[in-house]
Amino acid sequence: MTGTEHFERRVVLSGVGQSAVGRRLDRSGFQLTLDAVHAAIEDAGLRVDDIDGLAMFPGGGKANLPGYANGNLYEIQDALRLTTTWRQGQVEGMSLPFYGPAQAVATGQARHVVIWRTVKEGSAARNAGGRPAYGSIHPAAEGPLAWLLPVGALSPVCQVAPYATRYMHEYGVTREQLAWIPVTQRAHAALNPDAVYRDPLTVDDYLASRMISTPICLYDCDVPVDGATAIVVSAAETAPDLRAPVAVEAMAGVVDGRPSWEQWADMGRVGHATAAALWNRTSLRPADVDVAQLYDGFTIEAVWWLEAMGFCGVGEAGAFVEGGKRIALGGDLPLNTWGGQLSGGRLHASFGHTAEAIRQLRGEAGARQVVGAEVAAVTNVGGIEAGAALLTRWRG
Amino acid sequence: MTEETEPFWAAAREGRLLVEHCPACGADSFPPYGACRVCRSRPVEFVEITERGRVYSFTVNHQRWLPGLEVPYAIVLVEFPGHPGVRVAGRLRGCPPQAAAIGLEVEVGFEPGPGGFAVPSFVAVPSAIAGPGSAAVDRTPEAGAGAGA
Repeated sequence: MTGTEHFERRVVLSGVGQSAVGRRLDRSGFQLTLDAVHAAIEDAGLRVDDIDGLAMFPGGGKANLPGYANGNLYEIQDALRLTTTWRQGQVEGMSLPFYGPAQAVATGQARHVVIWRTVKEGSAARNAGGRPAYGSIHPAAEGPLAWLLPVGALSPVCQVAPYATRYMHEYGVTREQLAWIPVTQRAHAALNPDAVYRDPLTVDDYLASRMISTPICLYDCDVPVDGATAIVVSAAETAPDLRAPVAVEAMAGVVDGRPSWEQWADMGRVGHATAAALWNRTSLRPADVDVAQLYDGFTIEAVWWLEAMGFCGVGEAGAFVEGGKRIALGGDLPLNTWGGQLSGGRLHASFGHTAEAIRQLRGEAGARQVVGAEVAAVTNVGGIEAGAALLTRWRG
Repeated sequence: MTEETEPFWAAAREGRLLVEHCPACGADSFPPYGACRVCRSRPVEFVEITERGRVYSFTVNHQRWLPGLEVPYAIVLVEFPGHPGVRVAGRLRGCPPQAAAIGLEVEVGFEPGPGGFAVPSFVAVPSAIAGPGSAAVDRTPEAGAGAGA
């Protein structure tokens, strides 16, 4: 790779802001968004008037499922009284929240872009009678879900579960092993005052919890919450104006195979094409990664990422996480140090993971700080869409 | 239902599973797109699958996502030895959900789905599970067995 192809090196992640995060908050999505956006801009060391680009996930219209998008890009622009030279209403599917903004900044279309993601999924679940409403809106014979919803695969958990079944069948990985991911992340969440679940969780608790869609149990599922996260992406040359930028070493987002929740050829291996593309853009190796924020909408997604990213071999993630030592703070690869979505809350589309990576690389992660963290891995989803990035401490 | 999928759904009402077959390269695929996924040629034809399939993967759902939806139920992803490239999702019938297993042999079947559609489902082959009977499998949609959405 030549230098010109590494457009991501021309950008930094300069700010991160979050609203309150809770199972249910009596505030509008719009207000949560404004809280996060203002906090991110201030955190970057910028003023609102410095912002010239806005992006949100997802865009408007059909993407507005219950608990999903809140507010509207133009309403936020109006509320902030901004002039923008670049906007995006859909952050590159779900590859990475900062993928499109990084391209815009690297090509000079904007200098400081704010991206946000706001969820009211906690409230939406409550309004639906305590059950997640996602996926149950249009169980009709149209679109990609025409082949899943009518047969009863009404939730992402039902769509991901066969992947987990197949993976565990092929590699002999057990639920007892997988339990260590939510258990370890809960211990991390205990050190994060903003995490929604902070009480200790044991392997026995995990094994005793109710099954949702085999082999995925309650504690394999992330937690629907209300909350907003905003991130500022800035041009690298503005670093002198910024409080604490973080560098983007490499990023990739490959959609390969058959992008469908039931037609993926090899359900034991997802995310591998994206990870391979990522490592092709850097001289860093998996062993150089100090802290990993791997997408964990379900436990099994973190498993796939551990293997796809090369932190362990294919089929070895069960042994890698067993006992929890290697993925705990102080271990070889501290995993989801904020508690992840399993305990920290489903902030979605790796916004929470990216926010934590930024804090870790700045040394601002408080009691859960990984000492001397220089390189962080961030990944998103791991299925139809897969995004991955390496972020590094800023060296000026 | 779309231009591409109309023949599939029409056949489904008769309890028949149609998948796309490419006259140019011979590949089968699912779901219907009106274009071959292997060689990209158009148009394509349909071919009926009548043979038994095997469960590639599955899940047993325990959560009641919709009012009136009876749980647990098994969702299986079925492949067919004679039709590589085809994988169809459906509910498993003819055995308890807990009997779902990778490699389980199943017959093609359909059941009533949302909006009056007959949707694919699969019936466990009696010899593959514990249980009496060797009666021919009824391939037509069963009244009253749908999701009720």
